[in-house]
Amino acid sequence: MSILNIKDIHLSIEEKPILKGVSLNVNLGEVHAIMGPNGSGKSTLSYILSGKEGYDLSSGEINFDNKDLLELSANERSNQGLFLAFQYPVELPGVSSMNFLREAVNIRRKVLGKKELNHLEFVKEARRLASSMFIKDEMLKRSVNVGFSGGEKKRFEILQMMLLEPKLAILDETDSGLDVDALKIVSNGVNNYKGKDNAVIVITHYQRLLDYIVPDYVHILADGVIKKSGGPELAKIIEKNGYAGIVDAA
Amino acid sequence: MQRKYDDFSEVIKKHVNENYLEDDYRKFFLKKFSDWPSPTNETWRLSRLGKLARKKFIPYVSSSKKIKNSSITNNAYYSLVFINGIFSKVSSDILPEEIEISFLSAKDLITNLNEINNKSVLTHPTLNITGSCFQDFIKLKIKRNCQIDKPLELLQTGNCPNNSIHPLILIEVEENSNVKILEKFETNSALNAPLQILKLQKNSKLEFIKFHNDDIETTNLSLLISFLKEDANCNIFNLINGGAFTRSETHSYLKGENSSMNLNCVYLSTGFQHHDFTSSIYHDYPNCNSSQKVRGVLNKNSTGVFQGKIRVEKKAQKTNAQQMSKALILSDKALSNSKPELEIYADDVICSHGATVGELDEDQLFYFLSRGIDKQKARLMLIEAFLSEIIEESVDKIFMNEVVTETEIAFKKILEN
Ligand SMILES: Nc1ncnc2c1ncn2[C@@H]1O[C@H](COP(=O)(O)OP(=O)(O)O)[C@@H](O)[C@H]1O
Ligand SMILES: [Mg+2]
Repeated sequence: MSILNIKDIHLSIEEKPILKGVSLNVNLGEVHAIMGPNGSGKSTLSYILSGKEGYDLSSGEINFDNKDLLELSANERSNQGLFLAFQYPVELPGVSSMNFLREAVNIRRKVLGKKELNHLEFVKEARRLASSMFIKDEMLKRSVNVGFSGGEKKRFEILQMMLLEPKLAILDETDSGLDVDALKIVSNGVNNYKGKDNAVIVITHYQRLLDYIVPDYVHILADGVIKKSGGPELAKIIEKNGYAGIVDAA
Repeated sequence: MQRKYDDFSEVIKKHVNENYLEDDYRKFFLKKFSDWPSPTNETWRLSRLGKLARKKFIPYVSSSKKIKNSSITNNAYYSLVFINGIFSKVSSDILPEEIEISFLSAKDLITNLNEINNKSVLTHPTLNITGSCFQDFIKLKIKRNCQIDKPLELLQTGNCPNNSIHPLILIEVEENSNVKILEKFETNSALNAPLQILKLQKNSKLEFIKFHNDDIETTNLSLLISFLKEDANCNIFNLINGGAFTRSETHSYLKGENSSMNLNCVYLSTGFQHHDFTSSIYHDYPNCNSSQKVRGVLNKNSTGVFQGKIRVEKKAQKTNAQQMSKALILSDKALSNSKPELEIYADDVICSHGATVGELDEDQLFYFLSRGIDKQKARLMLIEAFLSEIIEESVDKIFMNEVVTETEIAFKKILEN
């Protein structure tokens, strides 16, 4: 069953065309990888999907879970089960991580018809999942992302994914800046979460992450379009030959 | 040119002659007030008194001293109630014997201010109007070597929209003593002109919270003058959210080594409110610390001002003086001004200052939205975060709940339409 269907979307930023007709269908139970050179519009696509202001399509349609995605505000998209792990998570000085997470989780639980968690119940649940991501309790007491290392920020993104139980998770370069150990922790988290009732889009510049999170499909985004789609073997070719062959072939 | 409004110097002259004819010391202040400071006066340029000058009002006089106020005093504090600036003994709690209360005169006021030669203090309208028109001048003395168990609460209430009111208080903390005070201005008057003097003797400590929450039509021109002797430690936190126009002005004289003055402020403004926090710290002795930190949140057409002066005398080596002002603007019509003024004559000092003005950060807001939290809640949480740091740093534990609650009520109010 389709969870996300992107139909021929176009987007320009400051009159510069970034996406020039991208289409993509993702079914529940699937893992898709989107690869592509720097500046090819991968993060832009993730912002369009998550509803960031200023990323309005000039044409195209997007269906998410049988709804018109573009009709939903950014927070509604999250409420409905779309999740973005940011390439560059922002810091929120003064906003306690625990309060932030609890606020977010209880809103999502309401939509899922689950009862809200009180402070104690929430702390227990957050700590359980945090420890699986090797996030120390002490980190949850700090302000969101403040004083977190690059790797800690990425693990904190995946913790949020686990807590929010999305139907579609988009991971934007979650592997960048991670050492091998951290990469394994993050991949384990994603692998444990993915199942037949959800789907994952992994955006990455490198093939490395795909050794741990094995995709069903790989798409190459370049020059504003999906140049090529294939199976995991496509990522191996990229690793060997780089993007040059594919991008030039156009 | 014909004047559109009454000359207030005539109003107070008449008032003093009618009520205090025989008190020559009041005339000392009376003759120093000729008019409201004009916009060409540098310290009043950003906070103009034109509207106040056009209002018609006369100083409040109470005939009966027995009016009991209706506000409920808090059991956690020793409460002293002032109605329209006048001490109400019947509404107030009995103080413990460590605190001595007495009434002073205009002559005492002159004596207590004789060390001051700054023009901005000596020509301040509050000094001269309140110095000539006050009805009660209360002195609270915390006797030496005393730790006061329960905080003091100063409740400034009253309702006289056509009058000016003139609360006048001197608080002296004697050697090695320690006291905590919470003051609330909740008056409805044309002009609230409180004058306060703090004297912190050797090794004394004062925690002082001030809520400026007067009626939305009131002009509040607070003037606070403090003197700190060696090893004295004074922490003052201002929350300014009330009044049509509120200026809280403080002059702090560090008159002994190792004294420290922390003077922080949060102001929350909306509508056509104008809020001003003006502070001067005079470092006259070596090894003293001071901080002036301000956070303002402004909505609609409101305006905010921070004027922070640090003066470090030549002999005040090893001074550490910090100053920081941050304003958050929620509407494109709101305006915040900040004017630092550093006069440093010593060479071995650490002085820092900075000012930022900005809107809520779009990327931060989007992070909340992307986690399903709606815009309204996200704004609340970001403003709360913006204010929490300074509150945690400035406010004594004993007042924390009250300050957090009061701040929350105030900033929810400024977010209303
Ligand atoms: N907010 C923005 N303002 C201006 N240009 C942008 C903005 N966001 C993205 N771009 C441009 O769009 C292109 C795609 O960027 P991005 O989506 O970040 O690429 P990727 O994630 O694939 O590296 C780049 O040329 C970038 O400079
Ligand atoms: Mg990117």
